[in-house]
Amino acid sequence: MSREFHPLVKQLLDGERTLYSLPPELQAEAQEAVRLLGAMDRRDVTFSSGLEARVMQEVRQHSTARRVRANTDPVLWRWLTAPSVPPWVVGAVSAASVIALILVRPGPTNDPEAIAQATAVAPESVFVKFILFAPAAKQVTLAGTFNRWEPGTTPLVRVSDEGVWTVTLGLPVGQHQYAFVVDGQRWVVDPAAPTVDDGFGRKNSVVSVSLEQGRVM
Amino acid sequence: MERTAVGPPDGVIVQAVLSGDVEQYAVLVRRYQDRYARYATRMLGSVDAAEDAVQDALVRAYDQLARCRDPDNFAGWFFLILRNRCFAERRRDQRFAALDGVPDVPAEENTEASLERAERGKGIERALQDLTPEQREVFVLKHMEELSYEEIAGRVGTTVAALKMRMHRAYDRLRELLEEMR
Repeated sequence: MSREFHPLVKQLLDGERTLYSLPPELQAEAQEAVRLLGAMDRRDVTFSSGLEARVMQEVRQHSTARRVRANTDPVLWRWLTAPSVPPWVVGAVSAASVIALILVRPGPTNDPEAIAQATAVAPESVFVKFILFAPAAKQVTLAGTFNRWEPGTTPLVRVSDEGVWTVTLGLPVGQHQYAFVVDGQRWVVDPAAPTVDDGFGRKNSVVSVSLEQGRVM
Repeated sequence: MERTAVGPPDGVIVQAVLSGDVEQYAVLVRRYQDRYARYATRMLGSVDAAEDAVQDALVRAYDQLARCRDPDNFAGWFFLILRNRCFAERRRDQRFAALDGVPDVPAEENTEASLERAERGKGIERALQDLTPEQREVFVLKHMEELSYEEIAGRVGTTVAALKMRMHRAYDRLRELLEEMR
């Protein structure tokens, strides 16, 4: 005997049909279905009174961590303009718009002052070069955990007529999530970097920064 | 079944928090910590698990607040974060069987009929936990949160036809499971 409800009974459960509109031979099945829904507990659920305090405690801790990072960043965010930053390309791109993310620790630069400052203040920092191939873009910025996902704070510079955009940032050791923002609207992941679910249906790119062997992605 | 918030709109509070007034986030916590309590409880089968999920989702929403593209619709955005959290937990532990979210019937209602109804209700709760997360979600949102198919489709980003197919499979599976429990 099939345990599937008759399609008309399913319409009844969906609220698209009344019990009395069903033929007599379906009345018993329909009443069983109605009892099923009628037995459900629809009472409200209330959580413990401490939930708000626990959430806010965590939020304050995260906020403090952010402020500490922000206070450290100005030195770390020094640009590496020296041409000694190797121009590697980690990923190839098909017909589209985005390339890769690369990085180097402070060592390769020719600027001793940059090395001294960066290593003195935050020896765990690493310079990371982000590259985007976006020939049609008028503006490209970078948003990520390192800038509170604010897309207006970290612009990339167009460095070639072909449409290569770059920015180099000093990032603390650790894992960072990011995305490129093209023309202020389109959020683009980095195809050359791993991604993680951002929690609401989209992906973020991820870079893991460490000092092991000089550079790590 | 959206409720009207008392006080400043969500978008104003979100901007205040993003501008550095972290304590304003408590307003959003108070506003939404219980709104999806029933949804999370039915999805996870336990009040405790639901409370943990809502707490995690609220903290995660704070961490990613700058990515909330429509601050006036913080509720819808937060729901998606909570939903993903619930789905991830269900998939992580398919063996989940706790039912402390099924409250006992209050003493004054302990008539034979109400006890039988309560037993049937607990049976449904148990059966709900054996549905796929997608089937369980559409059942909870339609029959507990009393949303229409159109509202559910807008909230979870799918079509009405897909939701109906999911729901009709859920009806059949629930019937089968309840038969097995007898």
